[in-house]
Amino acid sequence: MAEQGPLAIGATLKVTGPITVSDQDVRRFCELLGETNPLFLEEEAARRGPYGELVAPPSFAVTFRDVGHFADELFRLGKLGFDAGKDIEFVRPIRPGDQITATSRVARIYEKTGRSGPMVFVVVRSTLTNQRGEIVAHVDHRFTALAEFPAEEIAPGSGRDRQ
Amino acid sequence: MTPPFRAVLGEELGPRIVVISREQTRDYARQYRFESARFSDDERARRIGLPGIIVPGNMSLAYLVKLVTDWIGTRPATLVRLSTTYRQLVRPDSPLTLHGVITGAGGDGSVELDLWMENELGERLVTATATVRALPA
Repeated sequence: MAEQGPLAIGATLKVTGPITVSDQDVRRFCELLGETNPLFLEEEAARRGPYGELVAPPSFAVTFRDVGHFADELFRLGKLGFDAGKDIEFVRPIRPGDQITATSRVARIYEKTGRSGPMVFVVVRSTLTNQRGEIVAHVDHRFTALAEFPAEEIAPGSGRDRQ
Repeated sequence: MTPPFRAVLGEELGPRIVVISREQTRDYARQYRFESARFSDDERARRIGLPGIIVPGNMSLAYLVKLVTDWIGTRPATLVRLSTTYRQLVRPDSPLTLHGVITGAGGDGSVELDLWMENELGERLVTATATVRALPA
């Protein structure tokens, strides 16, 4: 039987930060993805844009990934774990100078049968806040692994569901 | 003058062809601490049953977001929601085509989109839905 460990609904996995976002952090992110949109890179263009100043691309929110160790926990449960997808609510833009804190909790555990057999899905919700305590994004990370343990054995009585 | 934000049902974003290189994949994985060898080491990736290194889901997500933010341009609107599903492995160094289509346009200035990334066989590797909303004047 799998150990419960951090795999209980509502359990806080990790609080990361605050991490200060620099101009260079945003530039590096853009460089890695071939992003050239002046709203993210050029102060003058950004000043004339909808936010009146430089902002990071929305997808920068997923770089605050403090769930790596959790993925390791999940992979322990199955043969080969994968990132199955993300559900993101972008509440307000991240700006250079912001100090971002990410708090991650287990939101949901469920089982689903795919082409390769039964699979366990675990949803980890990371809530990103800035230095004013404002939420900037909710990022739901959906992890999956080919099941070696039924979901019932992961977090008994924890409100899991099935799809 | 900033153009107004309008959207037409059925309007397409793309198609846009991109190639994510191995080097880019490794650099991204290193930068954002993806420690699994599946993103950086072909031999070790093969040992766990993969065809070689794969592109992190977050990179595919970022390319789909870029399709949307490029479409918004300087218009007063913003991406407020994105939901992605990674359906198949995304491999570096092969052409990927990004598509989008507007599936809904509400009177409140919100726009719903379907987005996807295809490989050369036309298989949808990553699918997504998104919501864009006009910013208050």
